[in-house]
Amino acid sequence: MDRVTDYETGIDAIAEYLPERVATLGELDAAGLLGGSAAVLASFGFEGVHLAGEESNVDMAIAAAGKLFAENEIDRDEIGVVLYATALTSSSTMWNAGSASAMNGAPESVLELSEVSDLFRYPASRLQAELQLRNAAVIGVNQLGCASIFAALRLARAMIVAEDDLKSVLCVSADKFPPSHKRDLIYNVVSDGACAALVRRGAARNRIVECTHVTKGALWDSGSLENEILAAYFPTAKALIERTLDKAGLTIDDIALVIPHNVSLRSWQILGRLIGCPLERIFTENISRVGHTVASDNLLNLRRATESGRIKRGDHLLLFTFGYGLNWACMILEH
Amino acid sequence: MSVKSSSVLLTGATGAVGSELLRRLAARKETTVNALVRRGSTRQPDIAGILRDLEPVARVVVLEGELRDGPTLGLAEADLNALARETTHIVHCGGSTSFTLPLSEARALNVCGTRAILDFARRCDNLQCVALFSTVYVSGKRSGGFSEDDFGDAGMGFVNSYEQSKAEMEEIVRNAMHDLPVLLLRLSTVAGDSNTGMVRGFNAIHHAIRLVYNGLAPMIPGDPDECVDIVSSDFVADAALHLIDHGDTGVFHLASGAESSSSLADLIGATVDSLVRFRPAWRKRAIEKPLIVDLDTYDLFVRSVEEAGNEVMRDATRSISTFAYQLAHPKLFDTARTRAALDGSRIAPGRALEFYPRVVKYCLDSSWGTRPC
Repeated sequence: MDRVTDYETGIDAIAEYLPERVATLGELDAAGLLGGSAAVLASFGFEGVHLAGEESNVDMAIAAAGKLFAENEIDRDEIGVVLYATALTSSSTMWNAGSASAMNGAPESVLELSEVSDLFRYPASRLQAELQLRNAAVIGVNQLGCASIFAALRLARAMIVAEDDLKSVLCVSADKFPPSHKRDLIYNVVSDGACAALVRRGAARNRIVECTHVTKGALWDSGSLENEILAAYFPTAKALIERTLDKAGLTIDDIALVIPHNVSLRSWQILGRLIGCPLERIFTENISRVGHTVASDNLLNLRRATESGRIKRGDHLLLFTFGYGLNWACMILEH
Repeated sequence: MSVKSSSVLLTGATGAVGSELLRRLAARKETTVNALVRRGSTRQPDIAGILRDLEPVARVVVLEGELRDGPTLGLAEADLNALARETTHIVHCGGSTSFTLPLSEARALNVCGTRAILDFARRCDNLQCVALFSTVYVSGKRSGGFSEDDFGDAGMGFVNSYEQSKAEMEEIVRNAMHDLPVLLLRLSTVAGDSNTGMVRGFNAIHHAIRLVYNGLAPMIPGDPDECVDIVSSDFVADAALHLIDHGDTGVFHLASGAESSSSLADLIGATVDSLVRFRPAWRKRAIEKPLIVDLDTYDLFVRSVEEAGNEVMRDATRSISTFAYQLAHPKLFDTARTRAALDGSRIAPGRALEFYPRVVKYCLDSSWGTRPC
């Protein structure tokens, strides 16, 4: 049986929000926000990250989505679903967005919330209200770490394909790292940020050709299984990318540009070699400047790559990310 | 050794190969086995353990000595003279098989120890054979064919101190071939017993299996189609004794050769398949097969792990690197002379993939030698 597919569903618009404040590795180190060596992180390709100040995770999500509407002619009423994707568990709450506990001093994580009612204050609903998306039902997508936005995009396409009256889905991702915690995670430096993408039937660009996602639940415990996670990363990444290309009937040589997540440049040098893609065809410019914005990297990079003129219509793009949980996700777009 | 009243000086009797030889020699009539163990070591109980399930027919004597003392072997003059008068065969398995020793230490054990044995051999009036164990990896970073007439690394360098010290050992052995009945046996990687999988000496291949089991081996350098040469310990022991018995001299490769080797990809596949087969719960961990990558990629990965400073990953990578770089220099060990010498004996290296799963099982069952099984 043929797969039911709408070949015109794609990512029609992208916007991002990055906090103005930028901290270099040296500044992070001086502030006690690095667990590892700044020199090693620099050798892995990082220079600095964006740090949220007063703005909350939901503030950043609203800012990114607001920018999306400001820059594009979008009928807000056409949006039938908001998929609000978060990597950090705390990002699924409004823990420092005017909640009762936040007013008593912003907690460091959802676990520190003092009132049960805080656990039912959802960023997705607030975003829907703030942006006046009156026809949009909201759905949270989480528990996939940095791969959460990929899951949102995949679900968006699937919903549009499945539901005749659904034309557009707004996918949003926003994560704000606990301010006083170390910013380096398994040799990557975490930045605060948000992104928004409009997945639309009849999109003019970025047709979603293929989405794949693998979860290795055995490696769910990121704290105690870090070594196993590190060791699993490359073999699984290579296997998934090759499977995705195969499903799309493409080879790596058909990919004009790889749109990465902003983990270490070194890891992309290695993965590029493993999949047979030279570093010149991987959009790594944002790794040093932006750092790893948890789940927003790929969309942010896709926008920057588009603006840079490195992509032309019809190009095949390969997006790849990796998230705790443990998840690997890959997507192929036709620009 | 079929000659009656053989007296064998055996070194390294507690090692992976030496212990197999000891068990076979101990089963021979009218044979004396003088097992030289390092003075002050705890090796003597090991020898009893090796022979535990046997009723030795031969006379087995444990001598405490020290190869690093030179030609005296660390023995008293009277004992040394008596040993020299009695010895008809020397089987020298002693030395170090560690890949990580500093070169000076590896030399002291493998080169100086062999020099001491050869000097002692020259004092033995009744000597019929001095069998010396080396490794096919004296070929170092050579690629391609390596025959039983070839020596050394041809200037290509070595992967570890073990290879280099053994190559240097062979230099002095070559000179000794002019005046002594030298049988130089170059071993491939000894995996374990082909029937039971039992491993008497855990080496790099077993450590690699453990790293795969623990999910800490993401990649190794090499070519998926290249031959990986591993042999069983029983083949090595049987073949060595056959050659000694028949008075063969010269260089012999106790290796699987082209006929019995497996490809690197198949060996890794067999490792994973065996782990799943013998530990079904292991599948739950969803560990991927190690990738086989080119040397530059592997180097980049190793460098990254070293820079990152994660101790567990660094130790795992270093452990693999002590031998894995050998895989980046694929070679085929010619065994023509050995095959000719063993012709008609029914002694042959089994196909690696047939016995290797049993070795993996033994590693699992014994928890890599830490518990009895």
